[in-house]
Amino acid sequence: MTGGAPQVFAPWDDPKAKPLIEFRGVTKRFGDFTAVDAIDLNIYPREFFALLGPSGCGKTTLMRMLAGFETPTEGHILLDGKDLAAVPPNRRAVNMMFQSYALFPHLTVYDNIAFGLKRSDMPKSEIDGRVTEMLKLVQLGPFAKRKPHQISGGQRQRVALARALAKAPKLLLLDEPLAALDKKLRHDTQFELMDIQEKTGTTFVIVTHDQEEAMTVASRIAVMKDGRLLQVSTPPQIYENPNSAYVADFIGDVTIINGTAEPHPDGYAVHWAEGQAPLVVRSPLTLSSGQACHLAIRPEKVDVSKTRPEDDNVVKGEVIDIAYLGNLSTFHVRLPGGQMLKAQKFNTEHSARKEITWGDEIWLSWSDECAVLLDR
Amino acid sequence: MRRLSWFNVTSLTLGFAFLYVPMLILIVYSFNESKLVTVWAGFSTKWYGELFRNEAFLDAAGVTLRVAFISATIATVLGTMAAYVMVRGGRFFGRTLFSGMIYAPLVMPEVITGLSLLLLFIAIGLDRGVLTIVLAHTTFAMCYVSVVVSSRLVTFDRSVEEAALDLGCTPFDAFRSVTLPIIAPAVISGWLLAFTLSLDDLVIASFTAGPSATTLPIKIFSSVRLGVSPEINALSTILIAIVATGVITASLVSKRAIARQRQDQRAAVAGA
Ligand SMILES: Nc1ncnc2c1ncn2[C@@H]1O[C@H](COP(=O)(O)OP(=O)(O)OP(=O)(O)O)[C@@H](O)[C@H]1O
Ligand SMILES: [Mg+2]
Repeated sequence: MTGGAPQVFAPWDDPKAKPLIEFRGVTKRFGDFTAVDAIDLNIYPREFFALLGPSGCGKTTLMRMLAGFETPTEGHILLDGKDLAAVPPNRRAVNMMFQSYALFPHLTVYDNIAFGLKRSDMPKSEIDGRVTEMLKLVQLGPFAKRKPHQISGGQRQRVALARALAKAPKLLLLDEPLAALDKKLRHDTQFELMDIQEKTGTTFVIVTHDQEEAMTVASRIAVMKDGRLLQVSTPPQIYENPNSAYVADFIGDVTIINGTAEPHPDGYAVHWAEGQAPLVVRSPLTLSSGQACHLAIRPEKVDVSKTRPEDDNVVKGEVIDIAYLGNLSTFHVRLPGGQMLKAQKFNTEHSARKEITWGDEIWLSWSDECAVLLDR
Repeated sequence: MRRLSWFNVTSLTLGFAFLYVPMLILIVYSFNESKLVTVWAGFSTKWYGELFRNEAFLDAAGVTLRVAFISATIATVLGTMAAYVMVRGGRFFGRTLFSGMIYAPLVMPEVITGLSLLLLFIAIGLDRGVLTIVLAHTTFAMCYVSVVVSSRLVTFDRSVEEAALDLGCTPFDAFRSVTLPIIAPAVISGWLLAFTLSLDDLVIASFTAGPSATTLPIKIFSSVRLGVSPEINALSTILIAIVATGVITASLVSKRAIARQRQDQRAAVAGA
């Protein structure tokens, strides 16, 4: 800490910060298929970096290039400022937890975890303590003497995690580390991971399909699609200010309304349906008049009422579906012209929501700050 | 259980008769009292005694076992290495040609393999004996081993090796401490295959054996040409017994291993 005031952890905003990993124009092709496409990315020490994206978008390939199992077709990867190209996997201060776990089937759980330690410069006397510590962390103490085929899928996943963590590497790559765990264990392990990260200062790169998980653990999230990075930002940034309809749709629940923009005081008016008032939105973007655009509206920002409210945007629609989630309900509402809009309400007052049922005509409203205007 | 139709019963009977009647006759006659092979004169085990007093046969048996053991071992090492490179080496220049060439001896007529080896040994002035038979058997058994091992390697999850590298193994260490233990069953079957191939090879051995060393198949073949003696029947019966025991043990062991693994898996699922 240099300044007097407590600093937030945001090395990516600090031009003087030295990244731990630098991708410089990294492309990976398999034959004529491009799995990773010209990626530029810096990951900083002590970060918890999450990679999010649909299946087959190149997340694992990116990790494998970091671990040294694939060589970039083009570009360079730097670790601590040094080009990794000539460093074989066994000499990289990087450990990876494989998506397929890749446990050693002929070794016990204990020996799987001890495997890397035995090949490090850790003194023999300390190995046992370290393995026991790892076993305790992933709650597998009683299974230490079993072989991988004698334990369940979730337990295997935890062995793989413990094995990758054991060496306390500078950089830890986790490829969907928690996918096979039940919700409670997953939450516990998430916090455990963050705790480990805090204690050891290890940098984590984690691949996940669970955006809630990414939101919970990550310092920054990268959304990938077709081998490209669409957006790299902090979780709140990526949720509140997605830079494209794809990202908005990928992270969290959202309604995307397509339309054309027309300049308006403080922003734009979006024409979205014949005979309907345009929707107004504040935006830092500069769009030309009549340009095609998208409006992303999060369901929790939309108010639901039975009588017409006063707001910047007010539309009327018919309730098609109600998803009751316990603490809140999601209303799927059809607007004139067929456009669907999702709105969410906390179920605070008892039975009050019962007033709105399927087929009801209701009013939806939101202010001009609550939607996000997107040009792609 | 389904009842077998008359057609199935007939084909089963015919097939098995075809396979085993000759052997059965051989076994029965090995216990024949008479010196004449085709005339039954009562039960006796005297030919077995005779056999064990026959120095020439015992020598040949010794040579055969030694050759089989050494050549199977060398062939297993070389064959495993070749399979590893073929499956794991990725695409290197001439890979298709190499893999084709490794498997070519499988279909090459043995006479040609034997003859070419003979020519080679004469050309380099190597005296024919145990060494030349070992070399010859290694050459042709190696490709069988490499077929067996590479079929195991292609179904092997590559990421397990990568995990070993990731955890600090050198490629050789990863092979020794991870790959080899996992493919061990295939390597052992490869060795057994090479061993039996060497044990019953006649053609290649007769090209490469010299006066100083004869293998059992050569010995049997040459003495049969002077007329089948009950001693040969006894010897063959012993060989059949050894091979049968080996095969049955191997299949029992592997069946047990599979059953145990299933049981473990069920226990794991139940206990989880
Ligand atoms: N060795 C390879 N040869 C050819 N294509 C490959 C190879 N490895 C990966 N690919 C392709 O590259 C693309 C990216 O694969 P990758 O494994 O990185 O996806 P992913 O983002 O990890 O997906 P998932 O979420 O399903 O794990 C896929 O379309 C895949 O088919
Ligand atoms: Mg993947």
